[in-house]
Amino acid sequence: MATKHYESVVIINAALEDPQIEQTIATILDHIKLSGGEISETEKWGRKRLAYPIDKAKSGYYLINRFVGPTSMIIEFERSLKLEENVIRYLTIALDKKDLEHLEKIKQSKTEEPVLEKETVPEKATNDESKD
Amino acid sequence: MKNKKAKRVITDYIDYKDGKKLQKFISDQGKIIPRRITGLSAKQHRELVRAIKRARQVAILPFVSEAVK
Repeated sequence: MATKHYESVVIINAALEDPQIEQTIATILDHIKLSGGEISETEKWGRKRLAYPIDKAKSGYYLINRFVGPTSMIIEFERSLKLEENVIRYLTIALDKKDLEHLEKIKQSKTEEPVLEKETVPEKATNDESKD
Repeated sequence: MKNKKAKRVITDYIDYKDGKKLQKFISDQGKIIPRRITGLSAKQHRELVRAIKRARQVAILPFVSEAVK
């Protein structure tokens, strides 16, 4: 079975208490694992203001997961999100080559950050001087 | 003729989760600014449109901005 990289954004009802949110996060992660996905990264953005109200809610709790899994798991996974009452919106996206390269760059820059900064700053300064 | 709006440049990857960057490419009504004004390449514009539409689905960007409602 062909596997693909996926990224899913899930918005959870922010009116819930923190433990309840943690619980729904745990069930979502379980759903991914049960349907055959392997989670590589999870990001929690926390409560954020929504650009427009969804089900009369003005804010939501953002959860972002990246995972690898067979293409058939997505139907199952999205169905489980649909059934979850605390999830107000979700979006699953297949990552292509470009996205993956970008993600790797971010990872690398995080680990090598102090070195890169020192190198780039003096370069910019010299360029400005030559223009003047 | 003077350009009303300065050309906007994106150098690399366009991320649909980065609301602040995408904000520069929508008008105050919430519409996507055309390529003839932003000066993006066709390829970049295609990617941008995709990113904005995804951002709208997950409520990072508005479909119609508050001011118009």
